[in-house]
Amino acid sequence: MNASFLAALRRIAGDDGVYCEPLEVLTYECDALTHLRQSPAAVVLPSSAAAVQQIVRLCANEGVSFVPRGHGTGLSGGALPVEGGIVIGLSRLNRVLDVDIRNRRVTVEPGVTNLEITRQVAPAGYYYAPDPSSQQVCSIGGNVAENSGGAHCLKYGFTVHHVLAADVVLPSGDLVQMGSEFADAPGPDLLGLLIGSEGTLGIATKITVRILRRPESVQTLLAAFDTIEQGGAAVSDIVSAGIIPAAIEMMDTLAIQAAEAAVHPGFPAADTVLIVELDGPDAEVRELFDVVEQICRTNGAATIEVAKTEPQRARIWKGRKAAFAAMGRVSPNYYVQDGVVPRTRLPEVLNRIRQLERSSGLRIGNVFHAGDGNLHPLICYDERVPGQAEQAEAVAAEILGYCVDAGGSLTGEHGIGVDKSQYMPRMFSDVDLALMARVRSVFDPRSLCNPGKVLPTPRLCGEVPGPYRAHPVERDGLGERF
Amino acid sequence: MIAVDALRASGHELETRDPDPDRDRIDDVVPRLVILPRTGEAAAGALRWAAGQRLSVVIRGQGSKSGWGARPPAVDVLLDMSMLNRILAHEAGDLTVTVEAGIRLRDLNAALAPHRQWLALDPPFGEQATIGGLLATNDSGPQRHRFGTPRDLVIGIQLATTDGQVAKSGGQVVKNVAGYDLSKIISGSFGSLAAIVAATFKLAPVPEASATVAIDRLDPDGLASVADAIAASQLEPVAFDLHVEQPPQPAPPRIDCLIRFASFRRVVEAESASAAARIAGLNQPVTVVEGDAEREVWASQSRRPWSGAGAVVRLAWRPGDVRPMLAAAIDSAGAQGFELAGRLGAGSGLMRLAGPDRDQRPVIERLRASEALANVVVVRAPLELRTREFVWGAPLNAALMSGLKRELDPAGILGAGRGPVPSFVERPV
Repeated sequence: MNASFLAALRRIAGDDGVYCEPLEVLTYECDALTHLRQSPAAVVLPSSAAAVQQIVRLCANEGVSFVPRGHGTGLSGGALPVEGGIVIGLSRLNRVLDVDIRNRRVTVEPGVTNLEITRQVAPAGYYYAPDPSSQQVCSIGGNVAENSGGAHCLKYGFTVHHVLAADVVLPSGDLVQMGSEFADAPGPDLLGLLIGSEGTLGIATKITVRILRRPESVQTLLAAFDTIEQGGAAVSDIVSAGIIPAAIEMMDTLAIQAAEAAVHPGFPAADTVLIVELDGPDAEVRELFDVVEQICRTNGAATIEVAKTEPQRARIWKGRKAAFAAMGRVSPNYYVQDGVVPRTRLPEVLNRIRQLERSSGLRIGNVFHAGDGNLHPLICYDERVPGQAEQAEAVAAEILGYCVDAGGSLTGEHGIGVDKSQYMPRMFSDVDLALMARVRSVFDPRSLCNPGKVLPTPRLCGEVPGPYRAHPVERDGLGERF
Repeated sequence: MIAVDALRASGHELETRDPDPDRDRIDDVVPRLVILPRTGEAAAGALRWAAGQRLSVVIRGQGSKSGWGARPPAVDVLLDMSMLNRILAHEAGDLTVTVEAGIRLRDLNAALAPHRQWLALDPPFGEQATIGGLLATNDSGPQRHRFGTPRDLVIGIQLATTDGQVAKSGGQVVKNVAGYDLSKIISGSFGSLAAIVAATFKLAPVPEASATVAIDRLDPDGLASVADAIAASQLEPVAFDLHVEQPPQPAPPRIDCLIRFASFRRVVEAESASAAARIAGLNQPVTVVEGDAEREVWASQSRRPWSGAGAVVRLAWRPGDVRPMLAAAIDSAGAQGFELAGRLGAGSGLMRLAGPDRDQRPVIERLRASEALANVVVVRAPLELRTREFVWGAPLNAALMSGLKRELDPAGILGAGRGPVPSFVERPV
């Protein structure tokens, strides 16, 4: 990195806002997809939107690539640095700018954590709905980039349904406002395009979100089934009954065993467990909860546990949320996949995965958001056995193929990033991808803003697929994969 | 005459016909040719052909909103999507549906009804409105309170672009973050970037029952107290609407409020009783309407801003600022009467200016200048008011929008300048 560029960065962000020594930039070599690493030429940590704008403008003038980064909890390498480029870390833009209970909105800088918004408004009885499991540590800017969901997105939708407006520094260095604090901003919904664009179209420097009134009542049950088909049929019947639960989660035997070993949630030893949560007005939850319970029984639930108290409910969720990290108890290494199938194709795809388990010899645990068909197969392997890591990756890729074959998606929530960009042609035609690339070029004609992400390019030099490794955040118990 | 031999010889599944001067006109402009594609490829082929000849194209479903937007200087081709009206996929268990753009919302929901599902949109002109038109205008009705607008419900889209291609984004599943969501830039584009060929939506269950709590003849303070009480409650209505009828001043406005609950029967009973009790506690008179009476209340609410004469303007306010909104509307209207139907949860409404045509421009200018209001857009107005600048107001992000326009429609043929996207090619009339 040339000295005059670094000096210019220091003038903008201060001496303590620019890192370029190898040891200093180590943290920024990867996000939570830890097997992909690249050292950035420099890391800059601006403290204001104006500084972000100056940095981007400098990059635009000098032709330097930049990668925006929130708190580094992304699971698809969306914040992976690019060779010779800089990382713009938004962690110092962490002010809550406005809490407006009256108008039910909060305005924050991108480095504010997801959960902090809820903390700010909880005393007034409100919350911010999207709840990715990393919500204690993930940044709202990262949520905007990834269009984050969470366990409750079945009923409440994703980040794109909850962000009203954002100030955005475009790759040209221009600062614009997208969306509006008011309803019905005229014209194409640029904010909707930005959300989920994985940091490739600009950097949000100020974000206004909608907050919701806390539901009056929440009820959770855990039902155990002897077969995945029974559990799947219960899910279908719940939805067919006209009920949209806040969450419907499923786990299979291996995932149940792992969760039991790790956090002892007291799950029954079953082939499949189903967690159903209803929330809303008392009258609604009371009425529908009985229906859900009956549907589970009709479909052959061996046991049904209804959480009577908040600690009981927390215990059920702990078992569910711990499932990823808990795989470490039953396997030395594992690979986490994220794919989506239409809900009605779940049993068929899960059976294909079980056949693959038998034919590959690798154990596969399944933890998933059954309500919206979002699968998270956990592929177990031992990296000490030569070839097994590669085999696990091939198995993970095979499962993505099942998802796409069934009319689903390559990713429900972790994003494409660099991890899955090479699979995009499985889901999209050349024409589809070319149109996306044209739209991107309107924002970033020189391909400086998070290049190499989302759309397929030839694989980066030295990039190798690899196993799941715990992110420092996860290792320290600050966040879980979900 | 436009020579269509090359288009006909292209082998695309489409029909062409001469325009009907009454049915096919856009404002006072009669197009020169109507093209009716039967497939997405045919729509794309027609666009490519038109682009090659630099023919201005307006895309139309059933034309329920043909009078919206700026008055077009000229229209060569009307791309009539009404023959692209099939349901392509509906898997009831997935609560999703894929349809062609020209299908009417009414027909789609009639087909979904036996499955007790619906595409949860209740826009004005719902009998005529097509899916493509709804997406292109992002129009919605009272139940946006619960379900949002079309942009919130669309999960995948297929587009015909002016280079003759059919491209898609999104998919068939609700949860999906693969690639850019191009449905969003089509939302609100008024047919100026690409033609919508098909779209996939998430659906909602049809509720077992519904009931509406009606509060009639509120004064502005009473309205504000009702709005605050419902917002602060944990009730979950599907619609929360306001209707204001302001006769020529100094007569006071008539203000009514409607709160609708839809769910299982017993839930609706409990929720509407709870809402009614809260509002009665504010010393406001309440009635609960159900059945045919309820349907009529909402049909009337949907019709009201459109049924009388005068310009119709869309406007938005901060949801907590209903009183300042009302004051701004009354001040802006001055001596004129108006009618306003709006969504209290979203802070969005349609205001019909009842005064003579010549007085409407200054009222709209005052609405635009008000601190309490934003996103003031002219929806229906006399032709002389329907310039792009006056209809849409100061353009937001004009550079980005022009960039998208240039990239997706380099010949500048789409939309005839009706929509909010600034056109870089001003076609001679």
